[in-house]
Amino acid sequence: MFAPLLSLAPTTEEVTSTDEVTEPDLPWVTIVWNDPVNLMSYVTWVFETYFAYPRVRCEKLMMDVHQKGRAVVSNGPRESMERDVEALQGYGLWATFEKDR
Amino acid sequence: MARAFLRQKQHYVALLDATERAMITGLMEQTRLILAPEVESTGDPFTDLVASMGVSLAIEDQVEGQLEHQSDADGNDAPAAEHGSDPSDFTDRDPALDRLLPTAHRGDDQVAAEFRRLTEEGLRQRKSGNLDVALGALKAAGTASGDRVVLDGEQAPAFLMALTDVRLLLGERMGMRTEEDAARLHDAMETIADDDPLGYALAWYDFLTWMQESLTHAVMGEGPPEPSV
Repeated sequence: MFAPLLSLAPTTEEVTSTDEVTEPDLPWVTIVWNDPVNLMSYVTWVFETYFAYPRVRCEKLMMDVHQKGRAVVSNGPRESMERDVEALQGYGLWATFEKDR
Repeated sequence: MARAFLRQKQHYVALLDATERAMITGLMEQTRLILAPEVESTGDPFTDLVASMGVSLAIEDQVEGQLEHQSDADGNDAPAAEHGSDPSDFTDRDPALDRLLPTAHRGDDQVAAEFRRLTEEGLRQRKSGNLDVALGALKAAGTASGDRVVLDGEQAPAFLMALTDVRLLLGERMGMRTEEDAARLHDAMETIADDDPLGYALAWYDFLTWMQESLTHAVMGEGPPEPSV
């Protein structure tokens, strides 16, 4: 048995501090992580439905998630990223937000 | 014999016999129990949850009242005492909940805890609502309708999301956390006994995958659907 969250996290993951809240200039990103359950077609449909991106862009993002393990699907102020993460989690995708590096 | 979803004019139609509808209904109801928002908890969801899913008693994501109830009933406060109540400590959460309501920030538990505090109840309500829509559509289907499960343009996205959450839960219960796990599970199907619960679960998982794939393609067939968020 192992902890899936820990095992899937890249070892190079930057540990951010709470100080970042006071640095409004740095944009944040929303990341979608690969998982073995969500279908490639469904992930594409979610990107298309929620972000209204063109399908070719949605398919590119989906393939990045599938092949690279993660993809940045949106960026902007933290509040927007939190909204995106909440929506994407509503669809069942494994979405997180963090400060862009 | 099931037939996958096809678009028929403004609707999406699948054929599911009574056994298939009953099985999917049961799985959706169990998923809904796990996801039930706090505001609508009726009776004793802790007992229901344990009884329906066979999960460990050491679930500290339960609200405190439920833990207290459990402690009172058993005269044993070990679950609470062992794990404490630090809201930023997700390490002992039911892993199925961590897939249905995953951490939103990797690397900063405090940020993740705050996000969870602000969004979890809303997400539980949305996901439960999707499951209710899907359960309603399954209930509306019957032998009188020729076993037809009919979804309109608003029900179809809810059904897709409900299928996703059921598959996430089933997948977690089967230990399917990586692509390698999924491949290993499907390889094991070759040798697994017919009466093995894991084989049974995987067969239904694959059935739901097939249903979801067909519905996804059906809703994407006519161009992007309207945003439903």
